[in-house]
Amino acid sequence: MVAEVNQQFAVQASGVTYTYQEGTRALRDVDFWVEPGEFVAMLASNGSGKTTLIKVLVGLLEPQNGIVNINGQNIRKLTRKDLCRQIGLVLQNPVDQLFAATVDEDVAYGPRNLGLAEQEINKRVVESLESVAALELRHRPIHHLSFGEQKRVSMAGVLAMHPSTLILDEPTAGLDPAGEALMMRLLNRLNREQGITVILATHSVDLLPLFADRIYVLRHGKVLKQGPSDEIFCDHEMINQACLRLPYIADLLHKMKEHDGVPINGLPLTLGEARMRLLELIPEDMITKHTEGKLQ
Amino acid sequence: MINLSRTAIAFIAVLIVGTAAAPVYAMHISEGILPMGWAVLWFLASLPFVVLGLRNLRIRSEKEPHFKALVGLVGAGVFVISCMPIPVPIAGTCSHPCGTGLAAILIGPSISVVVSSVALLLQALFLAHGGLTTLGANIFSMGVAGSFVGYGIFVLSRRMGLSFVVAAFLAGVLSDWATYSTTSFILTGALHADTSFWKMFVTILLAFVPTQVPLGILEGFLSAGAYTFVHSRRPEYLGILVKGDAV
Amino acid sequence: MFDLFLDFFANRDNHLTRMDSRTKMIVASSLILAVILSTKIILPLIVLAVCVSIMLIIGIPAKLVFLRLIAPMSIVLALVVVQTFSVNGTGFFSVSLFGLHLVATHEGLTHGIMLGSRVLGAVSVMILLGSVTPAHKIFHALRWFKVPDTWVEIALLIYRYTFTLADQTTDIAEAQKLRLGYSSLRRSLSSIGVLAGTVITRSMDQAMRTYEAMTLRGYNGAMRFEALPKMPKTEFMGLLIVLPLIIATYCAVEWWPK
Repeated sequence: MVAEVNQQFAVQASGVTYTYQEGTRALRDVDFWVEPGEFVAMLASNGSGKTTLIKVLVGLLEPQNGIVNINGQNIRKLTRKDLCRQIGLVLQNPVDQLFAATVDEDVAYGPRNLGLAEQEINKRVVESLESVAALELRHRPIHHLSFGEQKRVSMAGVLAMHPSTLILDEPTAGLDPAGEALMMRLLNRLNREQGITVILATHSVDLLPLFADRIYVLRHGKVLKQGPSDEIFCDHEMINQACLRLPYIADLLHKMKEHDGVPINGLPLTLGEARMRLLELIPEDMITKHTEGKLQ
Repeated sequence: MINLSRTAIAFIAVLIVGTAAAPVYAMHISEGILPMGWAVLWFLASLPFVVLGLRNLRIRSEKEPHFKALVGLVGAGVFVISCMPIPVPIAGTCSHPCGTGLAAILIGPSISVVVSSVALLLQALFLAHGGLTTLGANIFSMGVAGSFVGYGIFVLSRRMGLSFVVAAFLAGVLSDWATYSTTSFILTGALHADTSFWKMFVTILLAFVPTQVPLGILEGFLSAGAYTFVHSRRPEYLGILVKGDAV
Repeated sequence: MFDLFLDFFANRDNHLTRMDSRTKMIVASSLILAVILSTKIILPLIVLAVCVSIMLIIGIPAKLVFLRLIAPMSIVLALVVVQTFSVNGTGFFSVSLFGLHLVATHEGLTHGIMLGSRVLGAVSVMILLGSVTPAHKIFHALRWFKVPDTWVEIALLIYRYTFTLADQTTDIAEAQKLRLGYSSLRRSLSSIGVLAGTVITRSMDQAMRTYEAMTLRGYNGAMRFEALPKMPKTEFMGLLIVLPLIIATYCAVEWWPK
């Protein structure tokens, strides 16, 4: 399915092929599009071309074949400054991205390159640090931050450029469970409240179904499948082929259904959904406490 | 003249122990040692080299915008290496390599001067290693002498047909020794008082021998090892780094 | 394993860290100049006492202050010895060493002690400055003193990544140690070369990744810096009082009638 060049896509790549100098074909005829305001996940195992695709989308690499459009404009025609304002990338390792000496300076770095007035720069620094819950870190030197704090500050640095689309490479990798949950909450808020289009590349499947509107599965530089999360996770063969797995909770219920014949309705992907499905099966008199509403 | 009393002996013993440890700490000339005139003189002497380095840096980064990031990071790497404490068997204490020889053959001598000026300022302020008024003198001995001797030896040895391993080894050894000879020279100039210059120079130089002869050789192994490693793993970087250094 | 600098104290909050870095740098430089130009031991000793007391008052551990002063202390001892034997004057004892006839003089000893006091005084000012001003603030302030932006940019990068690379270096060195990389001289020499090489290649890889990240945020070959703020009026007034005070103290000590 090749999408037509269309104004309405936030990011659109058609027929993108990228081969590294040494001959590795990292991307083969990739079609990828995201609508404004969508939360899209790029699910891929190691070495499947995920990072290459990201670099193509932000204009760090120029594909040998295919076109990339950002908000309907060809990426080659955009200047770096214009591109910065439309699409931002948060790298996997915050060390790569935090190159200034203090949090303040690092977040101000991008806006300053945009040539904004000091007052506006200051406003953006405060706003973007607030939106990643890191305002209290403002005057700290970078090397005194914890890993989770570094991750959030590096995100603030990108947000300060006010991009309409945000790409994140493994935003939860290396974070503890609390940090992971915080990061996903922040991303969700950015997406729902500020309307920022979010593209998230990851290989951790457990958190995704909660947030992603749509999932792309990449393998060997090709898009294996794309669609809403329930559609993706129903295709067990494809999931195995992509060296991925179901979220643990879905896997459990799937096995109970397949091997033990438990009559579970559909394939729940999240904890809340799974709980509802299981509650349906348990006799009413065994449930001693009733809690209101759906969870999560 | 009086005979040596017991207190005098104790006094001298303390002095000797202190003096023996001094060369290790005197890797950079300490704050306060140089009188005003000498301090200014050495600032003036090293200034043109720093200016030249900055100029080369600016010119190159106009053509290759990633160049400053490379210099900054290689600078940080060399600085970290130069902070590794290395036990000196004879003196019984730890000393540090200079790393300027290695820096010079990686990023070119004039830019290596700039990097060492940053390293020296950081060490002075946060480790009380070296000093502010003596910064000029230290930039001259470690930055200028170390870098240019190291780089010169490297280029010369390569021209003579020696392998790059040997060339890098010699660059490391001789840049270290050049640094210490220059340091001795600077110290002598400021401190020889009524003694003859050469007598004093030789004395200070000799005081450095027990620590710096082994340390210089070690620095040679370090440069050779590091250069070979980079050469075998990331040869493309060597091409990016040194080409076109105007010196 | 590293004797890297601790900037922990400089990032704490107290009256001195809150001051404008330029003010601190101007006061520190004038103090150091006064110490270096002084011909009496009393001024450097006053400066030493004041600086050490301030450091203790703002809560820098006495042990650390002492540790930082040890290195210059041994240099002071060496200075005293060297000067004792190299200034002409009234001898108080003599030794023969390797055929050299050395005469220790009162004048030399006095001169040596004077030089030594200068070292201690000036070094203590420097340590104090470093304990209340983080490096990046000093680098930025240097732009005000007309140091080129290129230098400041390189300095900031070096400062930022020194910590990251030091952590990695420690990890590599420990991994080498655990696998007996330093069990003999031969192995040590080759291990240390590999260690240095690894650090350098990693720093280069890091440079490329950092550069990419910089590009994504609009970098095009030179970092843009914030315009330095005006020096606060109170601090400017403070300088107008402190600087003459330093000069007055210097003159008073220098020309005090015997």
